Amino acid sequence: MAPSQMSYAPTLGKLLKSLNSQPLEASIESLIYLLKRRQVKGDDIANATAHMLLQVVAKSKWQSVDQLLAKVSNTGLRLAQAAPTELVIGNVVRRVMGLIRDEATEERNADEMGDSVSDLSQLPATPTMSSRPGPTPIRAGTGLPMSKSMFNLLCVTETVSSPATGTSTPMSQGASANMHALRSEVIDGIEEIMDEISQADDQIAGFADIQIHPGDYVLAYLPSPTVERFLIKAAAKRRFTVFLASGERQKPGEAPHAALRKKLNGLGVNTISLASNGLMAYMPRVNKVVIGAKAVYANGGVSTESGCSIAARAAREYSKPVIVLSGVYKFTPADPSDDVAEFEQGDSSEFVEYADGEAVNALEVENIVAEYLPAQYVDVYLTNLGPQTRDHLATIMADHYKSEDMGLSLHLP
Amino acid sequence: MATEATGAPAEAPAPQEKGKQQAKPAAAKDTPTTGGDAAGEQKLTPAQLKARAKAEKAARRAKAKEVKEAPPAAAAADAKGGKGSKGGKQEGGQSGSQQRATHVPMAKRIQTSQAHKDVHPAVLAVGQQMATFALKDSIARLEATLLAFKKVIESYETPKGNSLSRHFVPHVLNPQIEYLTECRPMSFSMGNAIRFLKSQVNKFDIDTPEDEAKESLLEFIDIFINERITLAEVVISKNAAELIDEDGVVLTYGRHRLVEKTILRAKSNGKNFAVSIIDDPYDQGGKELAKTLQQAGIPVFYSPNLGGLRVHLERASNVLLGTEAIFANGSLLAPAGTADVAMAASAANVKVVALCETINFDRERVSVDSLTYNEIDPERCSAESFRLMFDTTHSKYITGVITEFESGTDFAPAQAILTLLRKREDPTIA
Repeated sequence: MAPSQMSYAPTLGKLLKSLNSQPLEASIESLIYLLKRRQVKGDDIANATAHMLLQVVAKSKWQSVDQLLAKVSNTGLRLAQAAPTELVIGNVVRRVMGLIRDEATEERNADEMGDSVSDLSQLPATPTMSSRPGPTPIRAGTGLPMSKSMFNLLCVTETVSSPATGTSTPMSQGASANMHALRSEVIDGIEEIMDEISQADDQIAGFADIQIHPGDYVLAYLPSPTVERFLIKAAAKRRFTVFLASGERQKPGEAPHAALRKKLNGLGVNTISLASNGLMAYMPRVNKVVIGAKAVYANGGVSTESGCSIAARAAREYSKPVIVLSGVYKFTPADPSDDVAEFEQGDSSEFVEYADGEAVNALEVENIVAEYLPAQYVDVYLTNLGPQTRDHLATIMADHYKSEDMGLSLHLP
Repeated sequence: MATEATGAPAEAPAPQEKGKQQAKPAAAKDTPTTGGDAAGEQKLTPAQLKARAKAEKAARRAKAKEVKEAPPAAAAADAKGGKGSKGGKQEGGQSGSQQRATHVPMAKRIQTSQAHKDVHPAVLAVGQQMATFALKDSIARLEATLLAFKKVIESYETPKGNSLSRHFVPHVLNPQIEYLTECRPMSFSMGNAIRFLKSQVNKFDIDTPEDEAKESLLEFIDIFINERITLAEVVISKNAAELIDEDGVVLTYGRHRLVEKTILRAKSNGKNFAVSIIDDPYDQGGKELAKTLQQAGIPVFYSPNLGGLRVHLERASNVLLGTEAIFANGSLLAPAGTADVAMAASAANVKVVALCETINFDRERVSVDSLTYNEIDPERCSAESFRLMFDTTHSKYITGVITEFESGTDFAPAQAILTLLRKREDPTIA
């Protein structure tokens, strides 16, 4: 089985291609397996989640908005449990749920004014989702949801937990036609979210030449695709030097990130790999540190690749700015439950070989692959909506998530 | 710089010189090593040294043969390098790293045949071991250097019309030191010890008989090794072991001899505790330490890099750090990454204790950033990539330093270094 698995090994690409031909449940299951094996990583996760939710909306059977919401959150929950540290899954689910609520309200407002008895009517009437992937328009009453949120939350959990009843949504004659329209609206909306996700890196990179100045020494710790694009974009306009660092061991003579280095060098930007564990030694020469986020919490803390907090701490020690790159879709409207818990252990076999029998038995190897970077070490959050500070994260989150969905918990035991 | 001038012409006759040297060292070698064994108290080290020296010698002979046929280009390159050879390699390959740290020196393998003709074979061997990092930490290098110098002294004969006190240092000792420095920049401990040794030579009256002077120098070195290395290690590990809490978790970075000794001693004192080892993926000494400790029955958590450091610190009760040297301002010179660990630890309110022999203290040099005094790892220095071997840890992150001195309190703030040193020189100071 093992050898054949190699050639038939499921990948995200294959999965996404086969989405239309496969039954929904099979697609969900295979994505769950990919997530569990950590074969989908980084920014692909958001994309994959959006694809999957699109399938849920398009393929599954639902008669009412509540059923749809339940199905979406249920699928989201399963995906999130497969990769509990990937907070983007929850974000995309929240976005899609928010989208469904918006569309539903709109339909209802258009068709049967004031007829609705569902909790949705409590939402302020919202204009259509902007067709631009950019900032969503600020809703009237942005300041208010906080006071309502408790009540809304309770309502939502209730309806979600009893999705089959369908009593909260009136089923009029035109309902099925409505649902059909709703389905296509929601699908359009999800496609917009997918566009936003795929364009976020480019939009972030658009701010590169503002942040990076000629002659800068920029430290990129474990550059993510977002960071890579950012640096390359900057390199087109600026002459600077990039330090590349990672906590992984490089063999002598071998330098990682070869593709990135080649591109940067081709644009005339110097790259230097710091083959080092600690970064304090180099920090005096560094002008700024660029870190790619896996997710940003409501309190400004960032979930990052392991080791980023070393870079950020050292930068803080020498008062160098730390720029966190993160698409808005990575903003998570939750606080880290416990700082220490926010890390993920990885494969230990890279570090202690099985040939080394003694060590295998003896050592408690802890290879931490993701960790939490407290907000105090971050100076700027550079998003696809531009640079943000910690103080405005809450506003952005309020713009992007419905208050009903903010409290959505995907991390049930 | 004088060597550069003399060095260049000396390169040409070197291969022939080799022939002569090969005969001489063989004889010179046997006598001192047996002497070392008789001294006995160095346990394994002289024996190990002998084995190493033998291996080196074989390699050297092979090399010497090669070099005879080797093109003179290599010799020329090396000659040009000479003392300023730090630049040699960097000018060649490093376009990128060059601008980063040209001033930072790097250990360099010098073909033994390229060495100055006056370099003693024992010193040659030590130099090779330093360049290849077989002798790595400052104390191992110091000890090997001193033992090699003993052999230099033993084989020294004052030329006619000269006195040992006038001739030995400039004509015999200095070429050895220059060679060693070329192989790898001297550690602070070596600098300190050589200063002591030179001042000892200068104390001799011009009329002191050669044998008496040699005897006295050999004895001085023995006592020095005994006091500043062997005993220091015992005292430090004893004092530091008391700091380990029962049922605590000791966190350490990489592998350092003193830390290892301390932990093992605490264990043999009957304490129960766990050790959390943060390793440097480029060095991986921590893995060896982990195995050793495991065999001693100590529970070990091993983390291969600095990732998730905060999590590890969360459960640590104190941090023990091994150091390479301590500057006059109390900053630590220690393996790269130590500063990050110390900073994170003090941010997490965990006690950070540095262990250091007083011979590693430097009272003249002050370092504020890590590029002031550092070395580049010669194995990882290319156009694209480089690695600094050390970093500087500010004293504000250090709760205290344990030295073999100050046995009253056992625990001195890092800034008290100068006072400690003064007291060391003159014990009458209160």
